[in-house]
Amino acid sequence: MTTANPVMEKPNRERTEEEKLLRYRVGQRIVHAVLATSFLMLLFTGLMILWQPLTLWARDGTSGLIHRIGAVLFMLVPILYLIVDRRGAKELLVESFTYDKDDIAWFKHAGRYFLGRAVGMPPQGRLNAGQKLHHAGVVITSATVVFSGIFMWYAKGNLGASGLALAASIHDLSMLTLTVLLAGHLYFTFVYKALSAMTTGYVPKEEALIEHPKWVEEIEHQQAAHD
Amino acid sequence: MAIHAFLLDISRCIGCEACVAACATGNELPAGMQYIHLIEQTRGEFPNLSGSFKNHRCYHCTDAACVKVCPTGALYKEDGMTRLNREVCIGCAYCTDACPFDVPRIVDGRSSKCDACASATAAGGKPWCVQTCPSDALRYGERQEILAEAHRRVEALKTRYPKARVYGETEAGGLGVIMVLPDDPEVLDLPANPDVPLLVKTWQQVVQPAALSLTALSVAVTGVAAVIARRNHMQELKQLHAQQTKAAQEESQE
Repeated sequence: MTTANPVMEKPNRERTEEEKLLRYRVGQRIVHAVLATSFLMLLFTGLMILWQPLTLWARDGTSGLIHRIGAVLFMLVPILYLIVDRRGAKELLVESFTYDKDDIAWFKHAGRYFLGRAVGMPPQGRLNAGQKLHHAGVVITSATVVFSGIFMWYAKGNLGASGLALAASIHDLSMLTLTVLLAGHLYFTFVYKALSAMTTGYVPKEEALIEHPKWVEEIEHQQAAHD
Repeated sequence: MAIHAFLLDISRCIGCEACVAACATGNELPAGMQYIHLIEQTRGEFPNLSGSFKNHRCYHCTDAACVKVCPTGALYKEDGMTRLNREVCIGCAYCTDACPFDVPRIVDGRSSKCDACASATAAGGKPWCVQTCPSDALRYGERQEILAEAHRRVEALKTRYPKARVYGETEAGGLGVIMVLPDDPEVLDLPANPDVPLLVKTWQQVVQPAALSLTALSVAVTGVAAVIARRNHMQELKQLHAQQTKAAQEESQE
């Protein structure tokens, strides 16, 4: 395991502030947009029947309809991902549940990364260990929120008091976890200027070298082999 | 306002369904909607048979599970009764699931159940079912008086029905329908313990508040920390650039 930073190791490297690397392909960005939109639809319409001050907006039933539309979109995301970018979907799933020594070392220093200090962190691949954990959390809690939601939707009126409470508790706690993960996701996007990854698909190479040196190296190897 | 209650004396109900008809007519219920269901119950084996009529309706629990789980406040407590404002019901059916007596029904996409003739009683009248009951099986009045009457009737019944008892004095925090039962509640298809289950209480009193407060906390923490972390990251980028420039200068001098 090494904690050396490739930027520090290569002082000769020409400053490449304008240089950008393709981080997410069009298909991946579309899937992300559908996921984000459907999740926000579900979050806000769900909050309308959870938080008393918002229940006023739930009373005409429109929010219930929006919640169901959002739920269908949300459930279609994995299928959509497989259709538009099968390789990307597979990579994401495999990487999210695969951790190496550098990832473990990264977790040990996660506190400083959280506070905006990425230079000197253990080298990471396409996804850093935090992103892997985030994605794994999203996959698992999305499954629990979907299954509890389907249960509440289709067994509506036949759940019994304990069945309703159990399904609704799992649903609420899953959404809590996903919302906390979303807050963290937005946080790191802001702190490390990563929004362009999902708007244009590209990230500044300078940031990628700090946070994902193994990934940059991999790309350069691939490029060299191609050339 | 005084707490009111119904008296429902099962031993006196003759199954005439006058209450059912009066309820539907008085409340102008549309076709398909019914607040009271009379169910004939027969017990024992021939020739030793006994029977009664279950007057299935909202029992107006004080600790009402339906009110606890209703997300929009369509179900609420008033005057000891459980009222329903159908205008704000979203038809989620949480009340249908939560009710220990299996009472509320979803009709035309909204919950439907007895609201103890809110408009009639607010005007000083009595619920339609009480007004029309010909056998004095139904009464409506102040809860303490109704309870006292129920105990009087049970005492009188005990010579004929040794298992006679009052049901609803304490169940589910005390029901708004105090029943005089000739037998054990289970025998008459009534739950012995209709209290709100622990899971429902946990969901309402722990999970939901925790979900809301932790969500708010995470947004607040990341909001504040983001400002600090972004500044830290900008600083380290600046230091990095300075180091790189210095290293490049040193190399060119060599």
